[in-house]
Amino acid sequence: MRTNFAALLPILAILLTAACRDEGISRARVPKEEAPAPAMGMGGEMPHDEAGHDHSAHAQGLRWTLPSGWKEVPGTGMRLATLVPPGGLKTEGTVVSLPGDSGGELANANRWRGQIGLPATDEAGVAAARTKLTTKAGPVSVYDFTSGGAVKTRLIAAVVKSGDSTWFFKLMGEAGATESARGGFLQLIKSLAPDAQK
Amino acid sequence: MRRNDALSRLIDGLSSLKLTLVCLALLMILVVACTLAQVELGIHLAVERFIRSFIVWWAPEGSSLRLPVFPGGGMVGGVLLLNLTFAQFRRLELSWRKGGLWIVHIGLALLFIGEFATAVLQVESNMAIEEGQTKSFSEDYRNMEVVVSDTTDPKVNDEFGIPASLLKSRREISDAALPFTLRVRGYYDNAALSRSAPGSPPSVVTAGVGAGMSFSPRPAVTADGEINTSVALVEPVLKDGTSLGVFLLSNALGAPQGFIHEGRNWKLALRLRRYHHPFSLTLKDFKHDRYPGTEIPKNFSSLVRLKDAAAGDDRDVLIYMNSPLRHGGLTFYQASFGKNDTLSVLQVVRNPAWTLPYVSCLLVALGLLWHFGLMLRKSLGARKV
Repeated sequence: MRTNFAALLPILAILLTAACRDEGISRARVPKEEAPAPAMGMGGEMPHDEAGHDHSAHAQGLRWTLPSGWKEVPGTGMRLATLVPPGGLKTEGTVVSLPGDSGGELANANRWRGQIGLPATDEAGVAAARTKLTTKAGPVSVYDFTSGGAVKTRLIAAVVKSGDSTWFFKLMGEAGATESARGGFLQLIKSLAPDAQK
Repeated sequence: MRRNDALSRLIDGLSSLKLTLVCLALLMILVVACTLAQVELGIHLAVERFIRSFIVWWAPEGSSLRLPVFPGGGMVGGVLLLNLTFAQFRRLELSWRKGGLWIVHIGLALLFIGEFATAVLQVESNMAIEEGQTKSFSEDYRNMEVVVSDTTDPKVNDEFGIPASLLKSRREISDAALPFTLRVRGYYDNAALSRSAPGSPPSVVTAGVGAGMSFSPRPAVTADGEINTSVALVEPVLKDGTSLGVFLLSNALGAPQGFIHEGRNWKLALRLRRYHHPFSLTLKDFKHDRYPGTEIPKNFSSLVRLKDAAAGDDRDVLIYMNSPLRHGGLTFYQASFGKNDTLSVLQVVRNPAWTLPYVSCLLVALGLLWHFGLMLRKSLGARKV
């Protein structure tokens, strides 16, 4: 009797397919989720406050005066407030307060640099980038970084200690819009003072 | 001549009934061993190791050696399929009289092929959906992915999902649509995460929330219902070679991590692998019926709204035990529930070969009817004489 070996081809094909199974990169455009996770900023990086505590910025140690035309939106999670400069969607300010020194200024400065694609720097580099402001809340370190590339992003961050906490004020967004908002942001920083209610 | 003898003996062996019996005995042993192994390994891994493998390996404790100890279900099934095929063509004559047996054998072969196809092609995931919530994706409950998202658009994210298998096998991952390459510095199926203690040695992680964390690899968990805490160390590198730092990503970290490049917001995360579907399901109502006066479940059902603009579908569907929703090549089964009966978990299965076992059973039934019909007619004819 003649044996028909052609019948074995489908079986071999399946076995070979099994051996060559591989997965690739998938791509999808998806609507933003209904309940987005609270973020720290445009390049946010801080853990969420899972306990969902109510953070009223002015009840926690510092107060400030909003420059003319600026708006303040209560934050969620670790973000205490969002600061919106006049007419600007291209840059945004955030206020975050964390216990302790939150890793120190070198780590935080490098984290901010990383957010806009700048390489990490050392203690000397951070010291060179730092400017100091004096406020009623104490000395404030201010950092101003601008990304490389054709479309530049600028980040201005202010760090101030208050009691056992460290406060971070950050303005970040498109370089031109951030430059326009810079004056108002620094004015807000200069207005920082201990909160009388504390 | 001698070569023809060897080939003839090989074909005789492959088509022998003894080989059939040996394979069936091996399959029985595999099924028992797989069932017992499920206690430690969980169903999925036990099936992968015993049934959907060509060789069952054993690793002595404390050793990196892997020793082959038994043929796996893939090998036994493959040999049995060969055996069935050779026996078919060698022993059965092609005639009306033997037509029933031909159909039965084809049906059995299809059953084996269906299992191979299922092992290779089937994809399982879960869709956990709360009442009132709409979802258009399901999640793999065993495998992870690193997702790189362009979140610049206020309404839509552009997501690139990189499966864990790719992270384990490649050192650099790039895509024409991504303005950077992702250098993989490490991937760990399971790990314990903790805050770095003061004075800890510098971490390889230099960016994101992970810069203040440390981790230690752990053996992967495989039991049903357990999820690994996976860790990926990835370093985005721009086209000009600039590194954006090493990020530690983990499904245990809820914090978004990312950076801005050329004015676009990029986020990095590690999460359960997602499968996006071109349609959505909205859970309208979940019901957990019990027998009156008891807590014994009587029925679980999910009333969902199916919306598929491309297919012109917009309708309510009731999914309940043994009555799944089949749509778009996927099958949605009622699988679990939670949150005080306000959350329904649907098992989502994509198996292009799902019809093969049904076709196989039909063929076997048809073949047996044919064969025994002929035998009956022959028997009745003999009595008349």
